[in-house]
Amino acid sequence: MSEPVSPAAVNPDAQTSGAADPVIAGRQLHLRAALLLLLMVALVAGAGVYVMYARGAFEVTQRLVLVTDDSEGVVVGSDLTFAGFPIGRVGRIELSPEGNARLLVDVASKDAHWLRTTSIFTLERSIVGGTRLRAFSGVLTDPPLPDGASRTLLVGDATAELPRLITTAKELIANLKTLTAADSSLDMSLANINSLTEKFKGRSGALGALLGDEKNAEKLLLALDRANSLLAKVDTLAANADRQVFGPQGVMKDAHATVIELNALLADARASLKKVDAVLIEAQAVGANAKAGTADLGALRAEIDSSLRKVDHLVNEINRKWPFARDTELRLP
Amino acid sequence: MTGTLLNSLKRLNRQALAGFAHAWQTIALAAIILSLAISPASYRADNRVAIERQLVTGTPQNVLWFTVLCALISLVLIRIVVVTAVSYGLSRYALEMVVRVLVLELIPLTAAVFVALRCTLPDGVELAELRARGDLAELTRQGIDPVRREALPRVVAGMFLVWLLASVSCIISLLLSYFTLYGFTPWAFPGYTRVVGQVFSPAVSLILLLKTLFFSIAVSLIPMASALYDNVSAPLHARSKAARELASMVRLFSVILLIEIVSLVGNYY
Repeated sequence: MSEPVSPAAVNPDAQTSGAADPVIAGRQLHLRAALLLLLMVALVAGAGVYVMYARGAFEVTQRLVLVTDDSEGVVVGSDLTFAGFPIGRVGRIELSPEGNARLLVDVASKDAHWLRTTSIFTLERSIVGGTRLRAFSGVLTDPPLPDGASRTLLVGDATAELPRLITTAKELIANLKTLTAADSSLDMSLANINSLTEKFKGRSGALGALLGDEKNAEKLLLALDRANSLLAKVDTLAANADRQVFGPQGVMKDAHATVIELNALLADARASLKKVDAVLIEAQAVGANAKAGTADLGALRAEIDSSLRKVDHLVNEINRKWPFARDTELRLP
Repeated sequence: MTGTLLNSLKRLNRQALAGFAHAWQTIALAAIILSLAISPASYRADNRVAIERQLVTGTPQNVLWFTVLCALISLVLIRIVVVTAVSYGLSRYALEMVVRVLVLELIPLTAAVFVALRCTLPDGVELAELRARGDLAELTRQGIDPVRREALPRVVAGMFLVWLLASVSCIISLLLSYFTLYGFTPWAFPGYTRVVGQVFSPAVSLILLLKTLFFSIAVSLIPMASALYDNVSAPLHARSKAARELASMVRLFSVILLIEIVSLVGNYY
């Protein structure tokens, strides 16, 4: 059409576009125009049908209601995925009377068997990218999720942690700032360490730094020298003691003889004790005999008592029958 | 000083009134032509032949060249978007971005500009020449409506061409996106379809259709309106034929820009 197409422009005699065209005329023109129109209608209609198919217009679905307190980031058309595969899409978002967001999800019937009564649903918000709805089914042998089922969404929000993280980071930075300030404890400690190391490099080294000044360090060194000489003396003393205790004329030899004598005495004592033991056994036998004798004495005493009663009875009898018997009868006046 | 300012204001007022008058004339012509387009009387023998001729002439060449150019540009853009998205670790968003950038925004705009430059602006010049020569007046004297006979076929052809080019190029771009992202395999088609479905929500689809419709109307009507109603005595237009054509082009591109801005606002706000 960049070229003049009107016959009027080409040929001034042919006034209008409706005039006959020597190249394209009649039925051929009509056919070509019809084909072009058909092509365009087919393209537009095909694109429309494809978009409808892509939006799930021809899909058989079942309804799933997901309830959450905040549906931010979820839009109509968002996918519900299972193991990374989209199995449903959000068809509608509404507010429930309780103030919760209700996401009405259309799950394709052919994929609905992945959702079970024990399935859980999560809403994940990442820092980069959109919000994701995901389904997890732990036990695939559980009963399938019924049509119109309502479930609560578990929300995992990466950005929700950000404010807390930033606050913590701020605190950390403030602490670091305090720690590294010019008059901070760390700075003072470092200065002290510096002065300490300077003292270490001095004439009396670490000892001088530990004891405060060089005089004390010298005293300590003197004390150490004296302790060394004392130790040498102690060493000599120990050698002498060793000689006196363990030498040929030492105490240990006498002690050894004494121990041997003690052993002999102990053997004698053991023999004496055995004899004492035998004496004790005999004494026990004597005791046993005395015990038996004591038992016989009881019987003898009983017999003596019996004989005495009889003698007493006899004496009483004689007294009664005897003419010198006293009148013991009391007579009343 | 005050007199100069007053004169400037008067001139500005005249120009504004002329602009409003031209806009009103264009709207009136649009109403006339659209009512003629839906009138069965416009498709009687003579007019139908004129419309068919406008539809057929040059359309295959334009479709062919535009499709080739659009495919090349789309391929380059798709590659840029995909490589950039992969380098940032956002490859899962590459397809959505490609579809949004190419199909929703660039291709309808490019198709409208292409049709304007290749067809409707030259058609407008042609109509202006017919008017200048007195051919339209002659048609009126013969009892033939010049708008129905000369303007309507060009407007219908322009609208048709915008729709055809936009449809063909969008489909080619969608196919190129698929093959560039996934290669020559059919197994990614369900996932691809799902992403396309997510992009083309009802609102976005409606905005795309309305945008293409208004592009086609603007591209077809404004050059015709300029040709039919431009006043040759206007200061700028009286200078030369090229100045008039340029003014018509600027007017057309301003309207295209306005439509694009409105569609962007509708899509992303």
